Amino acid sequence: MRMNQLVKLALVACILATGSGCSTVRRWFGLGPKGTADETAVTEVPWDAETQALLGGAGSFAETRQPVAGVSFRPVYFGFDSYQVAPVEVAKIEQVAQHLMQNRAHVVLIDGHCDERGSNEYNLSLGEQRAQTIRGYLVNLGIDGARVQTRSFGEEKPAAPGRSEEAYRLNRRGEFGVYR
Amino acid sequence: MKRIARVLAVVGAALAARGADITVRGEGTGKDAVSLSGLAVSGESGRLFAQTLQSDLQRSGWFRIDPAGQIQVAGSAAARPDGLAVAARVSWPGKRFDWNRSSGVGVPDVRRLAHQLADEMVRHIKGERGIASTRVVFVNRRGPNNADLFVCDADGSGLAQITQDAMAAVGPKWDCDGLHILYTGYLRGSPAVYRFPATGGRRMPLAKFNGLNAGAEVSPDGRTVALILSVTGNPEVHTLDLSSGATVRLTHTPHAVEASPAWSPDGTRIVYVSDAAGAPHLYCLDVRTKRSRRLTYKGSENVNPDWAPNGRIAYATLRAGSYQIAVLDPDAGGEPDGTLTSGPDHEDPSWAPDSRHIVCSRAEGPGRSSLWILDTGGDSPVRLFSHSGNWMSPDWSDK
Repeated sequence: MRMNQLVKLALVACILATGSGCSTVRRWFGLGPKGTADETAVTEVPWDAETQALLGGAGSFAETRQPVAGVSFRPVYFGFDSYQVAPVEVAKIEQVAQHLMQNRAHVVLIDGHCDERGSNEYNLSLGEQRAQTIRGYLVNLGIDGARVQTRSFGEEKPAAPGRSEEAYRLNRRGEFGVYR
Repeated sequence: MKRIARVLAVVGAALAARGADITVRGEGTGKDAVSLSGLAVSGESGRLFAQTLQSDLQRSGWFRIDPAGQIQVAGSAAARPDGLAVAARVSWPGKRFDWNRSSGVGVPDVRRLAHQLADEMVRHIKGERGIASTRVVFVNRRGPNNADLFVCDADGSGLAQITQDAMAAVGPKWDCDGLHILYTGYLRGSPAVYRFPATGGRRMPLAKFNGLNAGAEVSPDGRTVALILSVTGNPEVHTLDLSSGATVRLTHTPHAVEASPAWSPDGTRIVYVSDAAGAPHLYCLDVRTKRSRRLTYKGSENVNPDWAPNGRIAYATLRAGSYQIAVLDPDAGGEPDGTLTSGPDHEDPSWAPDSRHIVCSRAEGPGRSSLWILDTGGDSPVRLFSHSGNWMSPDWSDK
């Protein structure tokens, strides 16, 4: 196992260490100058779990676990351009915390969303911050942080159509997905 | 000679038929007159070449077409069985250059050849960077979690879909090689930064840490990516070294949101959006010292910064209820009172490599927006292409 990891480390290091500038990137991804020549050869390098762990996360709960059927929680709603949880919304988070206390094998993925106004990229960050704020509440309530992941859709996945204030209100939200 | 006149009449009619697409304000003022009368064209591809060249020269902002112009393009663009052969001499008082090229018969090949000559003329005659050969990447959003990426040439032709995912896609940016695209996609369910050839093809993840991976832009030297990661707890500006894979966090604002990092032309600074002051505004950070300084105070929001090669920053500013495009000089200090645009929302500006033109999106109504080219040199805005839809987040290639 250890040896295997070392081999993979060396492999990744070799891929990453070649060349400089834009050519580095091309070589990293095995692309020739025109993006064709040696593409096939190097993209065969498996992007497996350990390589992923080396370069980034090991995958979200949505990729690595199964959703728990029949368990759902109400979304937490937010004010315009805000990631503060209003006092009236806190009880929703406490219900999720209680469920996680009682079901030790369950984990939760919090999806942060925004209304459509404003910059798409800023909304991605705002949605993430909303999800992170909810995550902070769960951790403060005693839930192990490793059991709570966040994911932002920004303004890409509205719950309600249209451009009314009511639609905007329903779209500024954090949703809970429970996995095992 | 008669044949040339006929061809030019056809070209003129074709251009006139495109209507507002080529409207140029201030015709004549400050522009150099180019005569294409001496260019003999033959065949369909010869005519396409001349038409594309004329359009490119006008769109460059530096030239107007005038049969009596002192800048003369002479020679031939002749269709042959195996393609188009161009033998041209471009002359203007005291100077000239010869340009002999050939291409395949395909429409994209012929257009590319015309783009190359137009860029050579801008370079030789004006000493400026031409943009006819550059391209634009953007998002087409069809509905909730239903979008794909498209590219087209700088003149709006050659529109092509380069992803077929029908899922959220955010913030496409050209790599500095002009051949690859970086963007935030959801191929594995969570937002990750992917890189892939602009011709389409396999997406490779560049950053897929837990939480948010977004807003990636490659540094001018191609070695580093600036991006937003939340792996340390909340969205912050980071750099990712493409050789070592190492990440560095450049901002530390546990109670604020960062977004949209964009590199300075020399790669020493990054302009980005932060709501540290309560609403999104622009900040500039020194990559080496990690020190940030606030750039904008006017307007209720300032977002989507993009740094031009000549040092100016274009951005979208929310003033009196609508987003408009503005330009500031971070080194001179101060913010503009005026905006380049007015009326409906204009967002997501991206500079062309000539530091003169800007492509941005413009709201057309519920769920619809179009892409426009603005000219900071004074010409009227030009719509990139006329297909209706929800087109957004354009990024202009460096090459």
